[in-house]
Amino acid sequence: MRLVALDTLAERIGLKRGQGAAEARAMCPALDVIVADPSADQAFLEGLADWCDRYTPLVALDGKDGLFLDITGCAHLFGGEKALVSDVLSRLFALGVEARATISSSAGLSWAASRHGHADVIDPEEADRILAPLPVAALRLPAETVAALERVGLREIGDLLKAPRAPLARRFGPQLLLRLDQARGRVDEPLSPRLPVPSFSAERRFAEPLQDEAYILELTRHLAKDVRASLERQGEGGRLFELLLFRVDGRVFRVQAHAAFALNDAGRIAALFRERLQAVHDDLDAGFGFEILRLAVLRSERLDPAQQDFSGVPDESQPLAAFVDKVSARFGPDCLMQACFAESHLPERAGGFFPLRDVAALLDAPGLEGGAFPENRPLRIFAHPEPVEATAEVPEGPPRSFNWRKTRYRVARAEGPERIAAEWWIDGEDHPTRDYFRVEDQEGRRFWLFREGLYEREVSSARWFMHGVFA
Amino acid sequence: MAENAVQRQTILSLRESIARIENGCSTAVVPAIRDADRAGFRRGRERAPDRQVMPFGIASLDDVLKGGLPLEGLVEIRNAETRDAGAAAGFVMALAVLYQQRRKQKGHLAPVLWISQALAAREAGNPYAPGLRSYGLDAERLLFVSAGKVKDALWIAETALSVPVFATIVLEIRGNPASLALSESRRLHVKARAGQVPLLLFRQAGEEEASSAFFRFQVKPAPAGERPLPDGSMLCGSVGHPSFHLLVEKNRASAPHDIFLEWNAHDRRFYPLDERRSAALQAIDQPEDPGDPLSASAGRSCRAEPLGRLLAFARAS
Repeated sequence: MRLVALDTLAERIGLKRGQGAAEARAMCPALDVIVADPSADQAFLEGLADWCDRYTPLVALDGKDGLFLDITGCAHLFGGEKALVSDVLSRLFALGVEARATISSSAGLSWAASRHGHADVIDPEEADRILAPLPVAALRLPAETVAALERVGLREIGDLLKAPRAPLARRFGPQLLLRLDQARGRVDEPLSPRLPVPSFSAERRFAEPLQDEAYILELTRHLAKDVRASLERQGEGGRLFELLLFRVDGRVFRVQAHAAFALNDAGRIAALFRERLQAVHDDLDAGFGFEILRLAVLRSERLDPAQQDFSGVPDESQPLAAFVDKVSARFGPDCLMQACFAESHLPERAGGFFPLRDVAALLDAPGLEGGAFPENRPLRIFAHPEPVEATAEVPEGPPRSFNWRKTRYRVARAEGPERIAAEWWIDGEDHPTRDYFRVEDQEGRRFWLFREGLYEREVSSARWFMHGVFA
Repeated sequence: MAENAVQRQTILSLRESIARIENGCSTAVVPAIRDADRAGFRRGRERAPDRQVMPFGIASLDDVLKGGLPLEGLVEIRNAETRDAGAAAGFVMALAVLYQQRRKQKGHLAPVLWISQALAAREAGNPYAPGLRSYGLDAERLLFVSAGKVKDALWIAETALSVPVFATIVLEIRGNPASLALSESRRLHVKARAGQVPLLLFRQAGEEEASSAFFRFQVKPAPAGERPLPDGSMLCGSVGHPSFHLLVEKNRASAPHDIFLEWNAHDRRFYPLDERRSAALQAIDQPEDPGDPLSASAGRSCRAEPLGRLLAFARAS
């Protein structure tokens, strides 16, 4: 067992990363060793990143123990950069997280100064002065480059700044100079935020934490009104909404709600979340309350304002969309299903029910014209054909009687066989053929049975299955 | 004076609600009184007293149903055993086709909502889209929801009833759950009437139970006819149009009634089976051994009539 991480106290005693746990215990018998759990660390870091969403939507993860926050245009909301840093650090300290932070004009400089220096806010002109005394490891270089630099006596970044660039590039590769330029702000370094930035959002901060669900819903409606204003300006409506609830203890809840149609009506947006909060009721633990509420539009579409006509024929798509939204907010977006048909001979592939995608298509689809389709298919089909024991007079013929679900049925009439071969381009060539029979028992129940496999060609003893029931 | 008017209004509204419960039998009386009472208070929303119905086009059945199936409110369809679920689903879907057809004649292509308890679909099979299409239903306009719990299914049904979009709503429940008793059925019935949507409660393998439905049907399988050949004769040994044995267990007017029906998917309507075949089927339907534990509980013709009139069943749920 080796040490992988240390707190400040342990560092002060003189313990090192990579040291054996037994050796460390020998140095300090009262040592408290906790088994490392990288996935839990990662989850915690992501939780912190969620929490940092309160400062800026652009939060990027940095390795296992860092976060980049792009606060361009955000600092004045918190009373300036200095106030922002102290706010972040004091709040994190209150959460029990030991953190260091630096604000500067480039990600590389912030990284170097927060991990190896002491400055909290760095002026762009002072970049070189701050960088010079830092060790070369502060440039985010691979370990072997750092070792090679130290071998030739280039221990501090100041040494690199003084050295000529061409030989450095020749000897240590382009990575070194790239990192150096990034740290000095000469080369732009894009951060990749972990979540896409919503195009529309609105938020409220509360002096007192909020616990009651009714208040949360009421505030959601207010937020929706704010969002509506900006949506209307762009001529858009939201399809996917997200409500972020920042709990006072740092936990952040994200509740998403889908809309069947582009939506910008505050009442209907709030109604979506009413159902959604009902559904996630048990998971949403208000604890000591929420301090920030934010409503974001993650996906939006063009929404043309429609004029209601006077024809008297009600527009059915809106109420239907409202119904679909309400049900899918409560039971998940896949709960409403719609019939789909496919060109296939196999009954289970020819048609089925799939999650509803487009509400408008449901109303606009062309209806059945003329008579019904001539194909003879059952009304209900079993998801997995159920094996039955059947006896037939002749091997290839229809069954005389069969046992299904522990009951014996005597076949009065039978139609068939309808031979359906497997689709070799999907199932492979040795998939058995099915002979389907439509049978009626003596009391008038109609079933769809099939025999799997052709005698002598494919199988020696065929198996029978119950696949569906007719009206 | 004012007190008198308030009392009269109360009595009128009570009379009206009694008439509504009795549904059409004496509704003519109430409007007559109300119209006569010019000084009385009129309620804001008043609807025409005549109930809108959808006739089957079969005289004997329409007589029993007082004109046909209601266009709003609850109708219950049950089957005694799970293995009969195919026949019952066939009847329910035929009604859905009829309702959809009716809406189509008015110019709307209305969707049908089928809410199913997940257990019901597992026991009796999932709806099969090509089969529904060949049965005459506009299957592309069928919305299917599978709900894990009865309560969820009821919630979806109630939500759907408040939306005036669906041609009909099918609520498929297995057995007689306690969460769907008389009061819940009353609630659904009232909501369905308010939303002007027909709600078909499809009770799979359920007992008969007191409910607020207009009608309760029991559907039993019946042997189908044979396929007709172009020259008019029948193809021997073939299985033709689906047939049902329909028992009208609950209706407002007359005693229980049973009839054999055949569904023609091409014409999209029911036809009665001819007399001779019905009689033959009736004979088959009488169980040879009355003690057969699997026979349905509603074969009332061979059971001793209980004394008095049965007003409500013991709760099955």
